[in-house]
Amino acid sequence: MRPAVRSAIGGMNRGILRCASLLVPRDQRADWRREWNAELWHMRRACQPRGGSGWKAERAATAFCLGAFQDAFCVRGIRGQNWEIAPSQHGSARECLFWLAGVLALSCILARVLPGVFVESHPSHYQVNPGLVLLQRDLFTDSSAATISGQQFLDLKASRQRGIDGLAFYRMTKETLSPGLHAKPKWAVAHASFNLFALLGGTRSFAALPTETPGGLPPVVLSDELWKRDFKGNPRIIGSVVHVGRMAARVFGVLPRGSWRLPGGADAWLLQPDTEISRSAVGYVVAHITRFGQAEMYNDRLHINAFVADDPDADLWGVSFDERTRGPWTIFRFAVFLAFFALPAITSVSLGESCFSSHRPSLMTNLSRWIFLSAKIVLLLSIAYFASLDLSYWNATGYSALSEYAQLASTFFICLFGMRWILLDQRERCPVCLRRVTHPAQVGQASRTFLAWNGTELMCTSGHTLLHVPGLPTSWFGTQRWMYLDTSWKFLFAGTGVG
Amino acid sequence: MASEPKLSHTAAMILQAISTGCVYGFSIMEMTGLPSGTVYPAMRRLERDELIGSRWERQSIADAEQRPARKYYKLTAAGRVTLEASRKRYPLLERMIPSPEARSV
Repeated sequence: MRPAVRSAIGGMNRGILRCASLLVPRDQRADWRREWNAELWHMRRACQPRGGSGWKAERAATAFCLGAFQDAFCVRGIRGQNWEIAPSQHGSARECLFWLAGVLALSCILARVLPGVFVESHPSHYQVNPGLVLLQRDLFTDSSAATISGQQFLDLKASRQRGIDGLAFYRMTKETLSPGLHAKPKWAVAHASFNLFALLGGTRSFAALPTETPGGLPPVVLSDELWKRDFKGNPRIIGSVVHVGRMAARVFGVLPRGSWRLPGGADAWLLQPDTEISRSAVGYVVAHITRFGQAEMYNDRLHINAFVADDPDADLWGVSFDERTRGPWTIFRFAVFLAFFALPAITSVSLGESCFSSHRPSLMTNLSRWIFLSAKIVLLLSIAYFASLDLSYWNATGYSALSEYAQLASTFFICLFGMRWILLDQRERCPVCLRRVTHPAQVGQASRTFLAWNGTELMCTSGHTLLHVPGLPTSWFGTQRWMYLDTSWKFLFAGTGVG
Repeated sequence: MASEPKLSHTAAMILQAISTGCVYGFSIMEMTGLPSGTVYPAMRRLERDELIGSRWERQSIADAEQRPARKYYKLTAAGRVTLEASRKRYPLLERMIPSPEARSV
């Protein structure tokens, strides 16, 4: 470590001690500060490696200095005779559940505040009619890429297709969109066939959208983001005339945030009759497949032998919308399944129930233990659901494949390591009072494992049990064991004392 | 004996550490594994209850060794009696913090 850094950390530590000393009553302040400074000097000297200094020593010194605040608060409490540690709560089952519930509440609040999470966790906003597929020319093409021209769409629509009973087309352009003709930032505008929203239908988001041209002007639908940004959220915009590029159109509605899940990320949708569809422009085709077609789907894909008079090789692939509209719950369930499946690979799933004697806790004690374990698992799964959504959609305003992968990964890891912690925690809780056993004491020596016993003993501070954990698992002592203390031990642990 | 204070395990560990020769705050922390925010308040309470006493080292000794003077603690008579009772109350205490004689054995 550089001397300058070391000096800076030293200065910081002295500052911490000085701040802490301000909390101590004035008449004791000098004495406390003197003791802290003296001990800090000796501590650094003891912790530092010979001939230099290390981060470990500085970290220990800073931890020591931060502990001074606790000393100071305690000193004030002692003077007022009202400060006591609450030993009954420390490490108790109630404390554990309280912390888990706190984390859950925090992740729920975040989920409520983050717009991406809010949209994602309300699937009713983006549900579409069942049996919809996105047509593409090649099975291996990215489904977010446009592959079908306007002419091909019209050819498909003009001839009866086996297994398809509805087709709609849209293509993406970058155009200005404003009440006047003056320049504005360009937005992603989808030029869509009239029946697009009718075909998607199914949800309240799309139900009220037009299928016919009103008053000669083509209808345009704005996204929530565009409406709020360029039109300041003005509710009177509905029915007014705007210009999409140089074309006048009438605003017909605003699509709620997160409703649009198709490729292209449109900010506005200009609905046009098929006669005005550009023949050469490449876009996307949405198709509704019949029950017969749905029966032929395999792995959310459908091979369609399209009948186009001028193009006998116009085979198409239909990709189901299910991937885009399945919502977070399906991914969550899959990730939880994977995590539980992988759990035995990283920890033992045993709860360490064996004990030295034939003593068995009462049915109620056993029941409360299982209720506590179940409560922890339920809280963990709830945390995993909301926290994974918070992490995945932290910076996203809506659906993205990357966010789905992030949700899958974060749910998996939270569940996997959370379950590992739950099992480890459960193993170290007294079966009687569910408080964590403490004060580990090393017993025996490793060299005497085969003649005697070597391991760690932990005790329940309420005096119910001792936990014996073998240092080196053997065939006769492979897992931890509980020793239930009988009533003759109780007086040793009864009551709370000083310190 | 009914008037003897019942020590918490933390306080008993500190008394045991002092009795085994760890007479400074940092050495008690090292021996018991307890953090500074626990050890010093507990020692103040033990001092308040007259189970331990404290005294500053003479400045001349510290100056001779070119280091700051330290405050060191020792058990009072009442503290020794209480510790003896605590050893019965916490049977693992002596195994967790053995005396130097026991360690050498």
